[in-house]
Amino acid sequence: MNDISIVVKSLRSRRLSTIITAASVAVATALLLTMLSLRTASFEAFQRGTGTTHLLVSADSSPLTAVLNGVFYANAPSNPISWSKFQEIKNGFPYEWVVPTQQGDSFRGFPVAAVGPEFFTRFEPVRGEPWKLVDGQFPSKLFEVCLGSTVAADTGLRVGQKIVLTHGTGASLHAHEHEEFPFVIVGILQPSGSAHDRAVFTDLESSWILHAQERREHAGIEEAATVADLTDEDRKITGILLRLPTRPGRDASAAIQQQFDALRRDTAIVVAQPAQQIDRLRSIIGNIDELFIALGVAVLLSSGISILLSMHNSMAERRKQIALLRALGVARVRITGMILTEATLIGFAGAIGGCALSLIGNAVASGALKARIGLVVDPTLDPRSTVIIVAGAIVLSALAGVLPAITAYRTPVADNLRPEA
Amino acid sequence: MNHAVELANVHFDYGDEFSLSIQELNLNKGEMALISGGSGSGKSTLLWLIAGLLRARSGSISVAGERMDGVSESAADRIRARHIGLVFQTHHLLPEFSAQDNVALALMAAGEPEKTHASRSRELLNKLGIERVHVPVANLSVGQQQRVAVARAIVCKPTIVLADEPTASLDEVNASQAMDLIQQACREAGAALLCASHDRAMQSRFERVIQVDSFVSSARSHTQTGARA
Repeated sequence: MNDISIVVKSLRSRRLSTIITAASVAVATALLLTMLSLRTASFEAFQRGTGTTHLLVSADSSPLTAVLNGVFYANAPSNPISWSKFQEIKNGFPYEWVVPTQQGDSFRGFPVAAVGPEFFTRFEPVRGEPWKLVDGQFPSKLFEVCLGSTVAADTGLRVGQKIVLTHGTGASLHAHEHEEFPFVIVGILQPSGSAHDRAVFTDLESSWILHAQERREHAGIEEAATVADLTDEDRKITGILLRLPTRPGRDASAAIQQQFDALRRDTAIVVAQPAQQIDRLRSIIGNIDELFIALGVAVLLSSGISILLSMHNSMAERRKQIALLRALGVARVRITGMILTEATLIGFAGAIGGCALSLIGNAVASGALKARIGLVVDPTLDPRSTVIIVAGAIVLSALAGVLPAITAYRTPVADNLRPEA
Repeated sequence: MNHAVELANVHFDYGDEFSLSIQELNLNKGEMALISGGSGSGKSTLLWLIAGLLRARSGSISVAGERMDGVSESAADRIRARHIGLVFQTHHLLPEFSAQDNVALALMAAGEPEKTHASRSRELLNKLGIERVHVPVANLSVGQQQRVAVARAIVCKPTIVLADEPTASLDEVNASQAMDLIQQACREAGAALLCASHDRAMQSRFERVIQVDSFVSSARSHTQTGARA
């Protein structure tokens, strides 16, 4: 028999109350941990989309808009960049790679990105995770597309099937479909956990031909356009992904800022460092994020209050037990310690239960979120956050035990040992 | 030192309503005495003073040669755990604990080595006729609970057992058996016994009867404060 066994027996004797109280701590802990996981996941998802790009050039109105449109497909960029400007930029610095992109069309509401071949061979949507195919191959000929994983999952389309792209976002009832140029699906991409999973990819020339055809139709030419018919007016892009050379194993380079500043002098374009813009976005939506964390803390505090109430209510029933222990010679301080240990154990059990709950929840949610919206949530718990939250829950629980412990400390012995007490 | 308990010039009061003054009261080691008196006469108060659960206003109280007055509460706790066994009218067992655990509580409080708790408790309970030592005491009969309470009181081999109305809730036959048990257990443990009872029939069992009324110097109302029972 020792103090801990008395505490455990006492908790067992109030099994239902103990379980409910510990469960409230578990739910609060899990809620906080899951919120932190989702917060981390959401920002990582943003970062994942930017991949290995150092700089993004577009003709959008601001760097943030450029990133939202060029990386996250928020809208089709409205202003084009000429092919000659692209060549000028490409040849103006010994970049590691340069990927021209063009947006403007869609398929069943999913954005279509026409990209240079380096998009699949050099650009990585997530650093260290190059593109992989679930099926088929990357587009290599005219009028071929590969589908992002979400597009494939949502439409049920497979390699070999043909699709027709829509001019613009397709939101209008009268949206024009490029029926004269069906595209063959040649590949399905593996999920990347980024916005690219919601896009359809093709090559630049196919996209230019679609728009050359429109130009020719307006001019009354009925013959289908070919590569040979493309003019400089047709060869337009909406974005350029750039990566500067870095040392092996490094992602940053001092030249990034220099080149960023150099490109910014050109007022015809907008240059963005995607990582910086993501941080900016993070600071904009950070307040909402803090609100969720505050809610989680409030839930944790309320669970602390429930421990206090549960233990405080039990003190009325336990006066005789405490008086008896005192009569047997157990010191007041020791009994106070037992009550605090009880509260701490409830908090500990709740916090551990919360970790388990969060792990299970994250595991279930990560699969569902990745499959449904392409958001990658790491089902493991961040060690630092977990330690802080678990320690916080335990300390809070111990604090909740202070008032009942004081009540125990002050319990009069003689009065509570009387037969009528 | 042959005294289990020594009281000298002890004064205690509950304000103006009640006061207890004892010039001298000694109990020898192994001696068995009955504190007799009516309801509210101060029998329990005397026991709680000896046990250090109530503090005297003045005077000295020693148990097994160790002063209970003037020492810190924790020191009094240690003396109580080591030298005093307590038996209550309603047993005051912890119902969710087994018989063995209830007895082991006293050993824990006395600081006895933990590894001996189970064996010592079990052996004593078996000796007192309790075989189902792992059963929660709530599932035992009243008679068996009484035995567990006695076992808890003597398991640390105390210098003195203080029994507060141990038979008050029992009929004549059961009260007699309970007292037999307590007295025999104390005898075998070598403990003195100071038993408070309002039952005059108990007097024949004790070689010494202490009339608590002789210590009460003022008592306007004996029924208002239950702690004086």
